[in-house]
Amino acid sequence: MAISRSTYGTRRLAIVLLACLLVALFLLPSQSQRLLQYVGGPLGQILSVPLAAFSSVDHGISETWNAYLALQRVHEENRQLHRDLELLKGQNNQLRESVAATQRYEMLLNFKQQSPSQTMAAQVIGRDATNWYGGMILNKGESDGVRVEMGVVTPAGVVGRIVKTNSTSSVVLLVTDPNNAIAGVVQRTRDEGVVEGTGHGQARLKYIPLLSRVQAGDRVVTSGLTGTFPRGLAIGGLTQVEKSEGDLFQSAEIEPEVDLSKLDEVLIITAPYEDAGSAKKLLQEIRGDRKKP
Amino acid sequence: MKFLLYLLLALVVVPFQTTLLHYFSIFGVRPDLGLVAACLVGFLGGELDGLILGLLLGCFQDMLSAGDLWINVVTKGGGGFLAGLAGRHMAHITPAVLTAGLAIISCLSSAVFLYSMNPAGIDEVWMGVRSTVLVQAGFDALVGAGLYLLFRQRWSDDRMVTEGAL
Repeated sequence: MAISRSTYGTRRLAIVLLACLLVALFLLPSQSQRLLQYVGGPLGQILSVPLAAFSSVDHGISETWNAYLALQRVHEENRQLHRDLELLKGQNNQLRESVAATQRYEMLLNFKQQSPSQTMAAQVIGRDATNWYGGMILNKGESDGVRVEMGVVTPAGVVGRIVKTNSTSSVVLLVTDPNNAIAGVVQRTRDEGVVEGTGHGQARLKYIPLLSRVQAGDRVVTSGLTGTFPRGLAIGGLTQVEKSEGDLFQSAEIEPEVDLSKLDEVLIITAPYEDAGSAKKLLQEIRGDRKKP
Repeated sequence: MKFLLYLLLALVVVPFQTTLLHYFSIFGVRPDLGLVAACLVGFLGGELDGLILGLLLGCFQDMLSAGDLWINVVTKGGGGFLAGLAGRHMAHITPAVLTAGLAIISCLSSAVFLYSMNPAGIDEVWMGVRSTVLVQAGFDALVGAGLYLLFRQRWSDDRMVTEGAL
């Protein structure tokens, strides 16, 4: 009887303590972030084992389904064509951006900014644990050099940015999430704005100057003003421009360039621009080539 | 021993939720298995069990979500605790009661998520309620009731043993 009473007392104490912890976490969210981040490190390593196992099952299921059940040859061909299309879209966009930049600046001055970024390939191993955020889990983490705020892209365009990392995995906040904001520029008119997600699979370009002549069909690319993305990466195309009376700015809906629901592999931008030394070297090489003829 | 069992459960449920559950989504909304598990254990095992499992699940879910680090810990822990309180004051837990209870707790949990996202206006709140809160509440309730029916015999035996011990 005494043992039973003591166990009951301990149980009540545990409930009270844990309930207090819960209330503290809710009332002091910013302070609790640090504590949870500290606790999350070792837990992340434990979690990575079943996560990898489930992810391989997931890939197995989708591979089996796609390869054997759903018209094997047609699907393979379609996938290859999609890959080619994505690649060509990316190349096309880079070319458009190069042409636009060439018209405004000297080629050599611009070259440094157009140089390719340092990237790292990563595999998508899961989706956000809740329905409330547009997030994806990647199989690269701090031990691979991934840090918070790094940009994530595919050859076709921008995917999002890293918001959380642990030693073996990281979480990407997609460009379509309302909590995401990326500096963008309309490729044709060079009007700058902020691209924010709408939460419904689309994004919105906000703070476009009122006198701007942007129109549906214009393409939006990264402006390169923030350190996350280099300039000229495709974000999407404008589908609808909204200008309300009395507003100081226009806004426009964007259809993202990348199909975010069908991503398997992505690139993490570890350094948006090559270092200054290598850029100089490249410039010198180009100058040398020009002098030769 | 129980703690280890809950840790193991959390290590299975959360990776399953993030990797394979998208096959079972309706209108792009997946059931929140973490909340369902915490509530079921709370209903049938008591506040402490629901709270502990909820905290563990929430902690893991927060690590694999783009949101703030506290939000799943609070919603899953709170959900498990509330379910435990409700379960303690019920003489008989039927699938209908469990379904209603899960739907209510799921709505409360979603309300915390909505609040944390600082919606711009009532339109955005209403959009969130229509597109996610209600669908997820229904989904959570159905999955919870299904799991309860599946394991009813075992859980009711456990409950009798636990109540007898207390």
